[in-house]
Amino acid sequence: MMVSVWRYSHLVFAIASSIFLLIASVTGVILAVEPILNKIEPYSVSGADELSLAETLGHIHTKYEEVLAVKRDRNGFVSATAIVDGKNDEFYIDPFTGEKLGSLIQKKPFFQFATNLHRSLFLKSTGRFLIGFASFLLILISISGIVLIAKRQGGYKQFFAPVVRENFSQYHHVVYARWTLIPLLVLALTGVYLSLLRFDVIPDPKVSLQVDFDSIQEEPIREYTQFDLFRNTPLSELRELEYPFSEFVEDYYIIRLKDREVYLNQVTGEVLAEEKYPGLQVMSSWARVLHTGEGSIIWSIVLGFGSLAIPFLTVTGFIVYFRRPKTKIKNAYAKHESEYIVLVGTEAGSTLQFAQEFHKQLLSAGKKSHLALMNQYSLFKKMEHLVVITATYGQGEAPASGEKFIQLVKKHRQKQAFDFSVVGFGSTAYPNFCQFAYETHTALEASDKGIALHEVFTVNDQSFESFNNWFMAWSKKMDLSIHLEKPKLLGSSKPASTFKVIHKAELPEEDTFLLSLKNLNGSKPVSGDLLSVVPTEGARERLYSIGKVNTDTLVISIRRHDKGLCSNYLHQLRQGEKLTATVVNNRNFHFPKHAKKIVFIATGTGIGPFLGMIQENVKRREIHLYWGARTKDSFDLYKDYIDKAIREGKLTDFKTAYSRQQAEKMYVQNLIQRDKDLFLDVLKNKGCIMICGSIAMQKEVLEELQLLSNEYLGKDLSHYQNRKQIKMDCY
Amino acid sequence: MKNIVIKTVGALGLASAIFLLSSFIKEAEVSYKCMIQMTNYTGEKAYVVVSLINPEGKYEKTLYIQGDDKEWFPDLKNWWNFTDGIGENVDALSGATIGNGERNVISLGFNASHIDAGYKVRFESAVENQEYYAVDAEIELNSATIKDKVNGKGYIRYIRMVPNR
Repeated sequence: MMVSVWRYSHLVFAIASSIFLLIASVTGVILAVEPILNKIEPYSVSGADELSLAETLGHIHTKYEEVLAVKRDRNGFVSATAIVDGKNDEFYIDPFTGEKLGSLIQKKPFFQFATNLHRSLFLKSTGRFLIGFASFLLILISISGIVLIAKRQGGYKQFFAPVVRENFSQYHHVVYARWTLIPLLVLALTGVYLSLLRFDVIPDPKVSLQVDFDSIQEEPIREYTQFDLFRNTPLSELRELEYPFSEFVEDYYIIRLKDREVYLNQVTGEVLAEEKYPGLQVMSSWARVLHTGEGSIIWSIVLGFGSLAIPFLTVTGFIVYFRRPKTKIKNAYAKHESEYIVLVGTEAGSTLQFAQEFHKQLLSAGKKSHLALMNQYSLFKKMEHLVVITATYGQGEAPASGEKFIQLVKKHRQKQAFDFSVVGFGSTAYPNFCQFAYETHTALEASDKGIALHEVFTVNDQSFESFNNWFMAWSKKMDLSIHLEKPKLLGSSKPASTFKVIHKAELPEEDTFLLSLKNLNGSKPVSGDLLSVVPTEGARERLYSIGKVNTDTLVISIRRHDKGLCSNYLHQLRQGEKLTATVVNNRNFHFPKHAKKIVFIATGTGIGPFLGMIQENVKRREIHLYWGARTKDSFDLYKDYIDKAIREGKLTDFKTAYSRQQAEKMYVQNLIQRDKDLFLDVLKNKGCIMICGSIAMQKEVLEELQLLSNEYLGKDLSHYQNRKQIKMDCY
Repeated sequence: MKNIVIKTVGALGLASAIFLLSSFIKEAEVSYKCMIQMTNYTGEKAYVVVSLINPEGKYEKTLYIQGDDKEWFPDLKNWWNFTDGIGENVDALSGATIGNGERNVISLGFNASHIDAGYKVRFESAVENQEYYAVDAEIELNSATIKDKVNGKGYIRYIRMVPNR
């Protein structure tokens, strides 16, 4: 429930302020350039800051008869106001010689325009108020954003842990927001502060020094270069020095230093009055510097990027919002006439795609199916079969469309008995994997009429294969013969390429074969990427993991199924024949760049991509390969590759588990407990474990690793998964 | 013949010399240092314009503008009618605005013939969303009294002027 409050306010504030924030941020980016351009002007004289005021003033006096003021700005440029030929002139000087370096930097009309737009939208006070208010909303957006990230990441400690990627907008919205959080908050806070200052809500106290004119002394007369204050104050401390207006002793020097204001008798050099700036004034000055970046190139750049984040976050934020499923789902059958009820709990809408596909297939099989969100649970008069497909949000909370579900189940007691099946979508990279699916299951079990068909079935990382496994099991129980279509791949696929078959190695008794392909054109895949093969037009694509064994040669390892359309198509290809297929980037399953120790775990044909990765190990990092198969003979296909790699030092060791070789069945997951020291070492020291093979094996392996991680490392396995120390590609 | 030529050239030369000299004398400038001290009002920085007023009480020319953003110039209504009306070029006459309680020292140049001739220097001021003072302070160009401090009625606390060295 809490998530939705934060999310709702995050959204509402963003909508309310988006236009103003967009204007302010775009102009803000432009204005971030201004202090940088100013700073790189050539008016800074190195070493000048160590000069004393006395020296500086002396140098200036040799050049100009009448000087009115000397200033040092935040860029460290020193300027003098002097009367030259009867006219006021203000210009930058070289403090060593007093020579003019150039005229004052004039604010360029373009920046003036941007500043006015930034501050007041050309609406004067109304505009100032709007911008100030938008700035205030930005604070609230930032705070709600921080809370949302913490919820999503599973706590504040995990705040900067890697983000699980669901889609471009979601991923970059979170990642970029984290990077720019500090500048954004600083900009928003100082922006509000400056607005309040403008509207006099925060007073702008001025130092008001009182001079006791009765006690002003006219002697001893001293040369100004002998004044203590001038001799002892370095130029770096100066902000502004105003000369006495006339030669009367009642007129005095006004000197503003970094921390205080001083009045100085022009004849004796005695301090007439002195005061530190009030704290509020110092704060206002800091607010201004922090907001504008004046005087610092680095901070200006940081602010520029912070500003740039706003349009980006606005756009990606709205995309995430609009991608969310709308509550309107069209149904051919009303809820009271349907035997099949499909309920979805979804966050970003991807789970809905799976549910819709499932629902569609039920309808096409002539079943009366009704699709609804979990929050729409109510009495379903003719329901016989209930299927709940739900995601989990962040650290085990209900997704947006399922928040009320558990209460609704308690409230609406069905009159007739029904069976139910819960499919949990989630990512094992989050702690409390599929937590909400389990809660849903428990709630339904607790209602008297519901009979569970099976335990909660979990689907990791939107694996269609996994979902299909559940579907086959379920449809078998329902006695339906229907098939699911794979939703269109959203990943970044490249245009189709042509490959030439250069070799085919086969092991007929195991029904497995290894195809070596040469890429004739198009993309350059790396090991771990997928090859999408569509055997005949209109057929469903099949994905194979690619192993790149040298610059020219790719291998894919395939098991032939009797009725497998695609595997048989690939099997009949002969040496020299051409194959058209598409390379799909599989960024989460590439050879790790930095890990020192790497463990590969594969079963059967899952060894394919690893054959390539081992070849890529030119730095001879430690690689341990665990491989599971039915019999020893299965190894013959890969023997040459493995032997060669061990000889060349590219593979440290190779361990096998054969399930049918000996009386006692042996699986790869059994090896984990045996070699636990290695696995703990890899997890602890930022190594990487890569798993390729069947979903069933993946589940077993993850369970074993989870046990190790809990027992010896005191951490949930998701911690390592989140840090990309565990990579998986299973089917 | 020769004499006449020499005499004519001499006379012409002398005449032009006198003419040049007289024009030079006419153009002689007197420069004053002027301090504008602001009051402790609240609000935005003030725009102040300094103009020369002739003995008829009309604007003669603009001497100085304390304010660098032209967007706000029309707020100084009377002066803007004048300067905009004659299309005066004031680009080189403007300087930065100053805020409440601050002071600004500028140099003002006058034609010597305007001194002690009934001319005045007018200071008018305006602040965004606040009152406009058509005559905030006014000083007579009288060499005897010019050094006296003149108090302002609006955002200006006082004006002081002294001859430049």
